[in-house]
Amino acid sequence: MILIFGGAYQGKKEYAIKNYDIEIEDILTLSEDDRTLPEAPAYENLQKFTLGFAKRGESADKYLKENMELLKDKIVISDDISSGIVPVDTTLRAWREMHGRCLNMLAGEADEVVRVFCGIGSRIK
Amino acid sequence: MNVFISGGAKNGKSMFAQKAAKEMAEEKKVPLYYVATMIPRDEEDEARVARHVKEREGWGFTTVEAGRNICKILDETDPEGVFLLDSVTALLANEMFSDDGYYPEAGKKTAEDLEDFARRTGNTVFVSDYIYSDAALYDEITENYRKALAEADRRLARVCDKVVEVSCGRLTTHKGEEI
Repeated sequence: MILIFGGAYQGKKEYAIKNYDIEIEDILTLSEDDRTLPEAPAYENLQKFTLGFAKRGESADKYLKENMELLKDKIVISDDISSGIVPVDTTLRAWREMHGRCLNMLAGEADEVVRVFCGIGSRIK
Repeated sequence: MNVFISGGAKNGKSMFAQKAAKEMAEEKKVPLYYVATMIPRDEEDEARVARHVKEREGWGFTTVEAGRNICKILDETDPEGVFLLDSVTALLANEMFSDDGYYPEAGKKTAEDLEDFARRTGNTVFVSDYIYSDAALYDEITENYRKALAEADRRLARVCDKVVEVSCGRLTTHKGEEI
């Protein structure tokens, strides 16, 4: 698995297309309504997927842990939402923590982890 | 050399940017300009501006005001000089939210102006703010601003020779030689 993360609008998807063997059509855009990971070579907006879990009061880290096999050989693109003010809203607060746990777990399993900053990637694993 | 600097608030971006601009101007023996992007709206803003002016005392900056349309200042300055533009964030806010309204399309125009400014001067230090990693869901207008700032940042990062992230006063060089 390759994990590509960074702030919003940093050019993560463009980075993935430019540097790995995938096309834009290969990248499935996740949404809050996805309760499971549909089959695809690559995913983006993992933060929307985890937001859905947070809103439903479910655990995205548990789901990902149990379904880690699905992510083998995949590219996962996600926003990093960890560096702002702690949200007052309970759901957003739960989301922020849950998403952090998910990214840590994915980064642990990944063969490669890249952080994208203003369109520039840095390989951190 | 054009330099793009970003990072979180209060991490030392401006101080680093001032030093980098001053060194560049001294090395090249050219004028050093501070591009003031803030348009003061009240007493609090005026006090902030006064504080910043005082902080820059003795650095050798000539202050040029440009709340909007930054390329215009090239008519009254030496384009061979070194410019410090602090910040891209304020400039975009001025262009997008003026006294007579909200301009949703201002992002593209501002990004183009900035790229043009970088190409025409070749010696500008741009300072922006990294506001893309929080766990908040914003209204459409704020999200549009955030997206537009990111576009300006990415375009500047592409055109600049050096891209630096400042965190806790420490530098991470994403492009160009390590400092």
